[in-house]
Amino acid sequence: MLIATRQLVKHFPIKGESAFGKSLTLKAVEGVNLQVREGEVVGIVGESGSGKTTLGRMLLGLLKPTAGQIFFDIPDEVLQQYDACIANKDLGKAAEIEKQYSIFSKNRGRQREIRKKTNIVFQDPYSSLDPRLNILDIIMEPIVATGYLRSKEAVQRCMELLDEVGLPGDFAYRYPHELSGGQRQRVALARGIATLPKFLVLDEPTSALDVSVQAQVLALLRKIREKYNIGMVLITHNIAVISYMADQVNVMYAGKIVEIGQKKDVILKPIHPYNIALISAVPGKAVKGTKIILKGDTPNLVDPPGGCSFHPRCPVSFNRCGWSASEVVSDLKYLIEDKYPDRFKEGTNVSINMSGDVIITNADLISVKELISLEKKWTKSLAAIDDVSETNEGVKLKLSPCIVPEMYPQDNRLVACLHYAPL
Amino acid sequence: MSEAELKTRKWENTRLSLSVFFANKAAVIGLIIVMAYVVDALLVQFAPQAIGIHSPGTLVENFYNTVPSPPSLAHPFGTTYPGVDLFTSMVKAVRIDLFYSVLVVAIGAAVGSIVGVVSANVGGLMDEIVMRITDVFFSIPYLILALAVGFILGRSLLNMSIALAIVWWPLYARYTRSQTLSTKEFTFVEAAKASGVSRLKIMYKHILPNALPPVFIQISLDLGSIMVIFSTLAFIGFIENASIPELGYLSSLGLNYIQTAPWTVIFPGVAITLFALAVNLVGDGLRDVMDPRRRS
Amino acid sequence: MSYTLQVSDLNVQFYTRRGIYKALNGVDLSLKQGEIFGVAGESGCGKTTLGLTIMGLLPKNAAVTQGEVLLAGNRDLTACLRNAAPSEGEKFNIKQSEEAIKKLNRESCDIRGTKISMVFQDPMTSLNPVLQIGFQIAETIIAHQPRPLAERKIARTKVTHDDLGQIIKLLKEGADEQAINKYAESKNLHGIEDQVLSVWRRNDLGETKKEKIILSLHSEKLGSFEKLVLERVGSGKNIGGWMRIPGINRAAKNVLLKEGYIKATELLSMLEVPNPDKVVRMYPHELSGGMRQRIVIAIALANNPELVILDEPTSALDVTVQAQILELTRHLKHRFNTSFIFISHDLSVLSEVCDRIGIMYAGRIVEIAPIDAVFSRPLHPYTRMLTKAIPTIDGNEIQGIGGTVPDMRNVPIGCSFNPRCPDATEKCRSAKPSMVEVEEGHFVACFPKGD
Repeated sequence: MLIATRQLVKHFPIKGESAFGKSLTLKAVEGVNLQVREGEVVGIVGESGSGKTTLGRMLLGLLKPTAGQIFFDIPDEVLQQYDACIANKDLGKAAEIEKQYSIFSKNRGRQREIRKKTNIVFQDPYSSLDPRLNILDIIMEPIVATGYLRSKEAVQRCMELLDEVGLPGDFAYRYPHELSGGQRQRVALARGIATLPKFLVLDEPTSALDVSVQAQVLALLRKIREKYNIGMVLITHNIAVISYMADQVNVMYAGKIVEIGQKKDVILKPIHPYNIALISAVPGKAVKGTKIILKGDTPNLVDPPGGCSFHPRCPVSFNRCGWSASEVVSDLKYLIEDKYPDRFKEGTNVSINMSGDVIITNADLISVKELISLEKKWTKSLAAIDDVSETNEGVKLKLSPCIVPEMYPQDNRLVACLHYAPL
Repeated sequence: MSEAELKTRKWENTRLSLSVFFANKAAVIGLIIVMAYVVDALLVQFAPQAIGIHSPGTLVENFYNTVPSPPSLAHPFGTTYPGVDLFTSMVKAVRIDLFYSVLVVAIGAAVGSIVGVVSANVGGLMDEIVMRITDVFFSIPYLILALAVGFILGRSLLNMSIALAIVWWPLYARYTRSQTLSTKEFTFVEAAKASGVSRLKIMYKHILPNALPPVFIQISLDLGSIMVIFSTLAFIGFIENASIPELGYLSSLGLNYIQTAPWTVIFPGVAITLFALAVNLVGDGLRDVMDPRRRS
Repeated sequence: MSYTLQVSDLNVQFYTRRGIYKALNGVDLSLKQGEIFGVAGESGCGKTTLGLTIMGLLPKNAAVTQGEVLLAGNRDLTACLRNAAPSEGEKFNIKQSEEAIKKLNRESCDIRGTKISMVFQDPMTSLNPVLQIGFQIAETIIAHQPRPLAERKIARTKVTHDDLGQIIKLLKEGADEQAINKYAESKNLHGIEDQVLSVWRRNDLGETKKEKIILSLHSEKLGSFEKLVLERVGSGKNIGGWMRIPGINRAAKNVLLKEGYIKATELLSMLEVPNPDKVVRMYPHELSGGMRQRIVIAIALANNPELVILDEPTSALDVTVQAQILELTRHLKHRFNTSFIFISHDLSVLSEVCDRIGIMYAGRIVEIAPIDAVFSRPLHPYTRMLTKAIPTIDGNEIQGIGGTVPDMRNVPIGCSFNPRCPDATEKCRSAKPSMVEVEEGHFVACFPKGD
């Protein structure tokens, strides 16, 4: 396995005010297990706030994870051994394996090797090239820094690389500001493959380019991938680009992977509700069927929704998906006061009691039950109400406990949705 | 082929920079004035005889006629107490002023920039400590420090420069630190890290060349400010002996005669102000050249 | 057939230190009323410049050397700028250009924000971060059409409970907007219909609640100062005379602002913003990108313009949020009769909302076609190659277009696409093709395809 991550977590501490003096963290990546084989192109799709950029940076060692492991060039048997050790709580052996294969090893020599065998291409062609260096120096940088080649051979290799990416040789002495966006991105690509790495991370490589230029750069990427058998992680929000380039596709939402599988399954026959909505939202006539328009916005990562983080926007969420008492309360308040005020008296109050149940005062049981059955289809949070009973506090609504979904196998892929959890 | 291409490309760029600078009329005027001062200083330093100056380091006093006389043919700017020809004195003084101003700014900028860049790169606790140290230095009023230094080390122009440099370096530390921090955000720095370049090399190969150019603009502006401060200190008497040609000191000589012979105070004062203004205009022109948006 | 906008032979140039950039080289465009016209093209084709020229927002180093932009058939939006442009051989005079722009700004006061408005790409920077949302929306209403605001409030003082009950009865019987207007006019309650209808149209409230809100719209009390201000503004005059004294002026504006906030709430609920009453008191940084873009659209629509120019409104948004905004645009097109110009580099986005698309290349429109024709029967070689270059979700093969976009300082002679065109002929290299209608509504500027 070229790259394997285990339970990767990244939390960013946030400075500033917080209630009760507790420090807040932005939970950018939560428990990601990603695997890339040699020569495989793994696509990571997600919107802003999904954590894909943070994940990409960590895969290359540019960011240190808060928890979890990233292994580079680890034989499959050793990886299985590691998983077994963790399952059996054999932490000693696990630590040994970590020391040997982790991408963050302290060993200088190993660091050099890793840097030689990995590289990254960024999104913005304007800030990813140092404006004070000429193209030759830019491309030579990884070659010289890792000691891949000596000076004369390095220059030779640069000229070969320029040819490889389709730029004329005299560009070597030009400066970045003299090149167009597409040309700069080719230079960034040349720099990325300069040391013939085994693993390349591409962070939105064509998002800043025009359509016609994007097509050229993507064709070039394909050509390079086939020629050198480089394993790639392609991070983008553009599903069509993933469809063109990737083999394996991971869909991320709110820092977690929600669906993993082969391209033909995940993109053409999505099953996770978020993925379905995402694919249907892609503009263009090629996407068949009605569009699913999601309400609301991408979740707040400082205080993410409990259970499955997609549940507030999910069109098919049910009781165990993670509805919290406060969500039920705000929905009930709206229903009672704004939508059906004639069913309830003035002074009806909705609140949460000490044990986390919802209490409605000044209302009778029948009207509450009727309201719930009426609105259950449209107001999803009501599905979480397990039991309605009359108590001395008022009408008490008990909520289902929520479960955090894991990756469940279904239809040739893994999906993190409770609909597909084994019973 | 590529060597020649390299040269033509560099020339294109320089030509554009020059045309941008010269399009700013005010900056050109400023440049001419600054050049005049520099030429003056160089001439007095290396060939004083050529312009008729026989004692470049001292004022020529005339105790027979100490009362200031108005501008005339013999004395184009008049004379000041005690019988010193104002014009030649100012010519000599410009050299001294310019030299010490450059000295202060150079030391301050050099020390401050290095501290700023290193601090921003290392980050963490050391960065915090360095910033608090600069806070301490910021709170020291230059006048008090100059007096203290003068008391301990003796009154001299050199000691005054030391005092000013001590007060001036934190400004550069702060400024280069913020420039470095914003340069670090560029993805080419991350790309260099991903390519295996060591942290030290990233600092001097990528960050310094991109963070420092704005500092040069700040330096040019500071030359003016420093000269004004320097002259102020000399005005209140911060000099070795009573015969040093220095613009601020020259102004102070005419204080008693300010009502009857205002030119004694005005001419040296204008010389200081003019330099500060000119250097500001040049700095503005430089800003035009460096800022990519103002370039076009 | 009334044309909202007619652009004929528009030529715009930019004068810079590095040379003269010919951004637009003869753009022809006719926009029908109520249609969404898409302008597609890659970077450097001039689509943003086209939008800015129509709004008159060009920088001082730009010159309209030729052509005109007619709004509603009779108002030339570029007259000032054209007169200030240098003629053949003359040097560019930047002072003259500045004067012309100032003159244009003065003259355009009555159409910008009322008859034409623009929505820009980045919602983060389009909104003022230190002003409340409601203020920003109300500001544009007060600046251009304060009279309806005053009328609304005055109507609320005059209307009685019974009148409102009567209106509700009419609504329940299914009366349309015109009938309600007539009723309001007959009772001298001009200004009440707007408020009642916007409450009635909300779909997040139950009917009883809506009735309750409508019935509470009567017996508004006014202070004497408020009455003065509203009567003056309501009769069509501006806040003037003694009301221009600084402190009093502020107080008078505040009277209108309060009503403006209410109107802003109504606008936002029409644009499906949840909790609009809370949102109007919030600041832009408290909202997400999609919300902000809705607010910018609300500001653009506040005064019922005839034309709205949208410059890449969804390029900075996520895919799912983009779908929301496109759905909103479709909804708006059916509700109002406004014409839209939708500028985007993404043909697939345009295919979702537009009626017709114009493809731009190197400062000219090279093809105009109804939306389905662009993908099924593209005529111009550039359009053809562009459609083949877009990756689709099925992962089909894509092909780039060889060569690069021309340097706009030296536009190629003849058809500007000829260096990259696989079908170029001798004629293409020497003469500029004009737009020819090849089939109904489908125009192309190409010698081989147009003849």
